[in-house]
Amino acid sequence: MAAAAAAAVALLGQAPAPRAAAQDTAPSPRNASYQLQASLDTSAHAITGTGTLTWRNMTSRPVAELRFHLYWNAWRDTNSTWMREQQFGRNRALARRPASDFGGIEVSRLAIAGRDLRPNASFITPDDGNADDRTVLAVPLEQPVGPGQTVQVELAWTARVPRTFARTGRIGDYYFIAQWFPKIGVLEEAGWNAHQFHASTEFFADFGVYDVSLDVPHGWIVGATGVERERIDTGGRTRYRFTQDDVHDFAWTTSPHFPERRARFEYPGLPPVEMRLLLQPEHADQADRQFEATRAALKYFGTWFGPYPFGQITIVDPVTIVNPAAQGEGTRGMEYPTLFTAGTRWSSPWGNSEPEAVTIHETGHQFFQGVVATNEFEHAWMDEGLTTYATARVMEEMYPHRFVTVGRYFGGLAAWSYLDVKWSRAIDGNRLNAFRAAASSDAQSTPSWRYWPGTGSLISYNKTALWLATLERWLGWDTVQRILRTHFERGAFRHPTPDEFFAIASEVSGRDLTSFFDAVHRSSATFDYAAGQVTTATRGEERVSTVIVRRLGDGIFPVKVRVTAGAATHVFDWDGRERWKAFEIVDRAPVSRVEVDPERVLLLDVNYTNNSWTAQPQAARAATRWGVRWLTWAQELLLTYAFLV
Amino acid sequence: MGAFLEGWRRVLGAPALAASIVAATFLAALPLAMTVSRAIEQHLGASIEAEQALEGWHAGWAAEFGAGAQGLARTFTHEILGFGGTLATLSGLLDRVPLSPPLAAAVAAYLALWVFLTGGIIDRLARGRPIGAAAFFAASGGHFWRMLRAATLAGGAYYAAFAWLHPLLFVGLFNRLTRETTEEREVVAVRVVLYAVFLLVLLAIGLVSDFARVRLVIEDRRSALGAFAASLRFIRRRPVRTVALYAVNLVALAIILRLWLQVAPEAGAATWVVLLTGQLYLLARIWARLAFMASEAVFFQGELAHAQYTAAPDPVWPDSPAAEALDNLRRQS
Repeated sequence: MAAAAAAAVALLGQAPAPRAAAQDTAPSPRNASYQLQASLDTSAHAITGTGTLTWRNMTSRPVAELRFHLYWNAWRDTNSTWMREQQFGRNRALARRPASDFGGIEVSRLAIAGRDLRPNASFITPDDGNADDRTVLAVPLEQPVGPGQTVQVELAWTARVPRTFARTGRIGDYYFIAQWFPKIGVLEEAGWNAHQFHASTEFFADFGVYDVSLDVPHGWIVGATGVERERIDTGGRTRYRFTQDDVHDFAWTTSPHFPERRARFEYPGLPPVEMRLLLQPEHADQADRQFEATRAALKYFGTWFGPYPFGQITIVDPVTIVNPAAQGEGTRGMEYPTLFTAGTRWSSPWGNSEPEAVTIHETGHQFFQGVVATNEFEHAWMDEGLTTYATARVMEEMYPHRFVTVGRYFGGLAAWSYLDVKWSRAIDGNRLNAFRAAASSDAQSTPSWRYWPGTGSLISYNKTALWLATLERWLGWDTVQRILRTHFERGAFRHPTPDEFFAIASEVSGRDLTSFFDAVHRSSATFDYAAGQVTTATRGEERVSTVIVRRLGDGIFPVKVRVTAGAATHVFDWDGRERWKAFEIVDRAPVSRVEVDPERVLLLDVNYTNNSWTAQPQAARAATRWGVRWLTWAQELLLTYAFLV
Repeated sequence: MGAFLEGWRRVLGAPALAASIVAATFLAALPLAMTVSRAIEQHLGASIEAEQALEGWHAGWAAEFGAGAQGLARTFTHEILGFGGTLATLSGLLDRVPLSPPLAAAVAAYLALWVFLTGGIIDRLARGRPIGAAAFFAASGGHFWRMLRAATLAGGAYYAAFAWLHPLLFVGLFNRLTRETTEEREVVAVRVVLYAVFLLVLLAIGLVSDFARVRLVIEDRRSALGAFAASLRFIRRRPVRTVALYAVNLVALAIILRLWLQVAPEAGAATWVVLLTGQLYLLARIWARLAFMASEAVFFQGELAHAQYTAAPDPVWPDSPAAEALDNLRRQS
């Protein structure tokens, strides 16, 4: 399996035009291939498309029905499941968006062998029974498709491009078009895995070969998944043709205003990658930052986990949305195979981690999502969490000490760098602060689409990054790297499951990590260890000190307890299971210091301040110091308001 | 420019006044700071994290503290550091970000203190000579009710600006002007223009109410409404000079802010450096605010009265009941 996977991640890009028939030697199963033609009407904001889906049943059972995602119907009105869940998550501004902002997709042909299947097709809502949701179309077949059999489905559709929702849509002359065609779900042994479009989750699809022709007004630049094969100008229009093998999605963008930059990634031991950057004109001076960050991600992800298998990558710098109430939802960062968006700001100081962080993150998704295509509906943590963790690691390797906290003021338009507040991998990179407030909101093993929309991303991104960083501090980077590398190799061009990942972790680390994953993944328990009281009695010339340490959270993790008495340091291993534990220290000197988890291995501990105790507390001095600082700030605030009288 | 320079001369000639206001500001903020300080001490307890918090900004601990903080303590963030704090405060004011309730209460109390002191401050600066604490407080008390009425009128105007004009500009107009914008620079430009318009309105209210207060004191007026009308007439008849005077004062304030940007202590600075630098900056800010009042008083006196003229007699602190009783006895005998 490993050898096959290693072959699978060999260089694919820049190959001749793909052939679905080449599936026997292909790295991916190529069971969902599309040949599409689409035309964009920029005055009506509409797409008209036709095409053919070639789909193979890879299960051991015949299937009598096909299921298609029509994602854009999530933005048809405010009654869709996506819209409802967004509003549960307090994004209530969506309900006030004008009717012209909404979009949608209508299938005008869906046929096999000339027989239109639409009359029997119906919208289904397997997740929540929302009768107003039209994001999954079930299409009964006249004849079942047997195991290993292939069908060709003729498609035609029209779509109205929305003002940006979920980083998709248009604003002005900028179009970003993703999840834009009738897209078949994933058939598993248990049946169709085709969820409705939810607010806190993304996508899941099978691999295939994409051959897509895009017709846009003349002069408009197009960036898309894959390699550009043709560009033909006819009658004031330009037709672009892109192809790509072994991807599970196809996204594209167009605008007449993109400045275009190209560069090449080269690093010993890794295949070269042609990088194409489509920028917003006002961000042209940040092109080098984008390229440098992309190079960093390709280098570190490539050397740590495995090479990027496609020969090209397209980076799209989207329009910066600074006033979502009017302009639409933010367009910031999103991954698609061989193409991603990486937003930045016009005023992005050198110390600001944007665009670097988002660029590295989305490049990282080329590995954990583009190649290792885990199910983002159900296990969003598998791509988001792994990528967040690895992104932080790349940031630290590539840009040590560069980034600081940047505050945005005056409507978010003025940036101010707090040079004293340094970016740290543990806290900022793994996003500990945001996670703390939502630590117990959902068990991570809950299907992601069921997470509470307001905090779902914190469980997918932040918690995973934190437990991976905890594993790194516990087992060592070398072990974690091998775990992720093995996961990448074995999961390439497949849909690996969480259990596969956990099995790899135990196998590679050489220890049973079940209890760890029970705690961090299968439960919503929080972790909080604390130093309790210290009492000392005298016995002859010796002091007998009793140190109490406590477990305040429900989460269990083995921790070290370091006790300092005079010049001596005593270190105890505590399995962390009991609610409290007493350690006795016999020494000539009294205990002066107690530290639970002194190396801060357990990054999921939501309160690290209570992990230590000292006989000479400095809290009063620190409080005075910061009280004075706050006093000055408060005085200034009073004076500022006093200007009004 | 003459009024501006004479205003600053009078302000610098009243060091006790400025020092007293610094002290009053300090005392107004001190109980709040002590509350925050207690919360910090309580959170750190016997933790060794305090040792790192003594070295400089301990971001990890500060975030933990913030996560569990209540009330005033929630304002303890990195936004109290240096010039960033200044920006955050100004931005919060102009973007109508609500203050935390205890902070809002402190601001209200502090504004009430200013309303009380304004009569005494203008009287002292208009006379251009020391009048003593007793006379200062007598003038403050004597003018308090009319200053309160003036503050109510100004407050009404500010309320209209923030409650009505602000959403009109920054929601309605801003949304309409930026809906199809694809360049952040354009959004910035639009917002800057809107801030300029809003600031002009605020400054116009400030200008009119400043001269109204000056007239209330110097002409010993009783009617705040009449003083506002008189202020408007005064400005209307000499718009360039009054606005120029206000603008020069604003430039002086901007220079002080620029200097603060330069010298604001970093997070690792010693406590005494933070305290000293901070109080000097606040003293400069108070001077700048007093300079507005002083230069406007000077300008008004030069235009409609004469230098150092005030219609009201020197304020006299009332005798104590015992002294009055002795005086009555002496008269009877």
